[in-house]
Amino acid sequence: MPDASIRGNVKKDSRVGLWLGRNWALLFLLLEVLVFSALGTRFLSLENLQNIFVACTVVLLLAMGETFVIITGGIDLSVGFVMGFGTVICARFMVLLQAAGLTQGASIPLAALICLLIGLVPGLVNGTLVARLKVPPFLATFGMYGIAYGFSEIISKNTPISGLPSAAGVIGNEYLLYIVPRKMVSFLIRPQNITRPEMRSMLAIIPIIVVIAFIFIVIFAFLLRRTRFGRHTYAIGGSIDAALRSGINVTSHLTRIYMISSFFASLSGVLYVLKYVTGRADAGSARMLDAVVAVVIGGASLYGGTGTVKGTIIGALIIATLETGMVNLSIPYHNRYIVIGGILVFAVLIDQFFPELIGRRE
Amino acid sequence: MRCLHPFLPASQAVSCWEGVRYLSGQELTQSNKARVLLFIGERWSAFFLLLMLGVFSLTAPHFFAFKNFTNILYFSTLYVLLAAGETFVIITGGIDLSVGFVMGFVNVSAAIIMRNLHAAGQPPAVSMLIGAAAGLVLGVIPGLINGLLVARLRVPPFIATLGTYGIANGVALNLCEGFPIYFLPPRAREIGNSFLAYLIPGKSFSFFHRPQNLDAGDLRALTGILPATVIVTVVILIIFAFILGRTKFGRHTYAIGGSMDAAIRAGINVPGHLVRVYIISSMFAAVAGVLYVFRAGIGNFTTMSSSYELFAIAAVVIGGASLMGGKGKIGGTVVGILILMTLETGLNITGIPSFYRYIATGLILIAAVVVDQLTPEGRTLSA
Repeated sequence: MPDASIRGNVKKDSRVGLWLGRNWALLFLLLEVLVFSALGTRFLSLENLQNIFVACTVVLLLAMGETFVIITGGIDLSVGFVMGFGTVICARFMVLLQAAGLTQGASIPLAALICLLIGLVPGLVNGTLVARLKVPPFLATFGMYGIAYGFSEIISKNTPISGLPSAAGVIGNEYLLYIVPRKMVSFLIRPQNITRPEMRSMLAIIPIIVVIAFIFIVIFAFLLRRTRFGRHTYAIGGSIDAALRSGINVTSHLTRIYMISSFFASLSGVLYVLKYVTGRADAGSARMLDAVVAVVIGGASLYGGTGTVKGTIIGALIIATLETGMVNLSIPYHNRYIVIGGILVFAVLIDQFFPELIGRRE
Repeated sequence: MRCLHPFLPASQAVSCWEGVRYLSGQELTQSNKARVLLFIGERWSAFFLLLMLGVFSLTAPHFFAFKNFTNILYFSTLYVLLAAGETFVIITGGIDLSVGFVMGFVNVSAAIIMRNLHAAGQPPAVSMLIGAAAGLVLGVIPGLINGLLVARLRVPPFIATLGTYGIANGVALNLCEGFPIYFLPPRAREIGNSFLAYLIPGKSFSFFHRPQNLDAGDLRALTGILPATVIVTVVILIIFAFILGRTKFGRHTYAIGGSMDAAIRAGINVPGHLVRVYIISSMFAAVAGVLYVFRAGIGNFTTMSSSYELFAIAAVVIGGASLMGGKGKIGGTVVGILILMTLETGLNITGIPSFYRYIATGLILIAAVVVDQLTPEGRTLSA
């Protein structure tokens, strides 16, 4: 890390470079929006922008948990399949509870709650392995990746779970606010008995699942930014030895971090069930890459100690905008893997060329 | 002060004082015990494999059969190739997450070339050869990119190969548009599923050529001995086990994994060597991809949830390698893959759904690392 005297001599153009290096993610996001709105059709419409946020929620939730883990210098590879596990548990319990005679209003929240509770187990196992048994995070969570996938395939019997309560889909696709121009404004409840042209001109604003995700993200962003828990998280990532010596209970802290990660994974599983009304083992299989990429784009270092929720949100928005924009331009979906893989490498290269950005020790 | 004890492996250096104590009478029996434990600890995976073979032979019907053992080898080929390449990378202290999708990418490209040449009226031999060769050449590219990123641009191996993981997958899906590639020369599949020798007990025995015009009874009795793909794989493995164990290249690989700084100071061209190691890994994946084409007779992309990299990395770790580098052997990796494949076959025969293999693999992977942590010698890993 360069010392202050070197830093004081930074020339003006390299300061511009530094600024670019620090904010390239935001600029890249703006560039994406510009390109897609120039090339695409109705890209900047309210509907499409909301679609971006909906597409963003799954990645963002997984990436939120991953942010905590990566700040401690670890990695959680299991998030994608733990999310699949969450969808399967949630959907299965909805079906079971409904069959057991519970009303829809009771079985949906109850199943979601059960799913969130069971969803803590993979994190507890990961955390125990990493913190107590000193298994490298990479291997512990890689083992869990296989285990979670195996269990979800068994629970779902290798087919998407169907027969869920019909109200589940209503909740997941509901909006916070409906406006029918010059007629009515309604909160949460989709206006009934309106004519077809009115239906077409109706504005639906802010999807419920985005609101749910937003609430949890704000809570955990606060936790990371403003509390002792958050400071300890950064401390452990900065130097585990120093954290130990300053009296932080590193073992239990790390366990909790991995539980946060799998909590977010199962939360995004619940939201997936509410949105798509099914549970499937491979629901999040491709999402592990996205989650790690979003965190790394957001400026976190895999060596630990750095990373912000703001950065992760920008990272997730870059991925979601890309995804939505590609659909808009009808570019085949699988190109996203190429672009996202490319962005990942690019993001790390930027970190390498501007070591001042993250204060990494060589 | 440390010195080597004559009865202990070189890796078990003990202090001279302890060494003297080992020689006194009572301590000697204890050290024998310790040596037995160490012997088992170092080879627990081989014992575990034998144990598993024993248990399945006793409990699963028709498990202890020549055809079944042939099957285990047959299904191991692709995985063991991926894992062998991964072994090189893990010994240097790196990781290659891209192997599964590189295999899919090579598989799809080789199949497309074969299909197009076949459709253009080229003789099957030409189209197959060119397709296979082109696949192998294309397989160098991901490894070269990984190696340059890791060695020259100092990108952490995990991230560099996660990037190529996405890119290789995307390119493969682009090439095949998400569908399997059919209409390959039919000879490809025959070659891929041929055996070294064919035996109809008490009737005929022939090398290379599958007996023609058999009645149903003979067809059922027909036993293939040593699948061609297994032979190809074994030859490649022996060559690379030799390279790793007996050549300068292999010693440098261990040296880099043991200590990068020491390797640089010893004058090893570390960046150049690392690039070559990542190329080896992706070449192994390419060979697996080409063999896959011959075996299946179609080209197919790797699905997101098939997790080849999980099985490859698990096998290397079960085989005794450390993710911190400097440790690992091709032989251990082969044992690792055989454990996973025996488990899968055994579970299948017993009628347990195949998804349990993901759970079992995950558990064995974690158990392997925990065992490694608990044995005093294996404390090389740290979180």
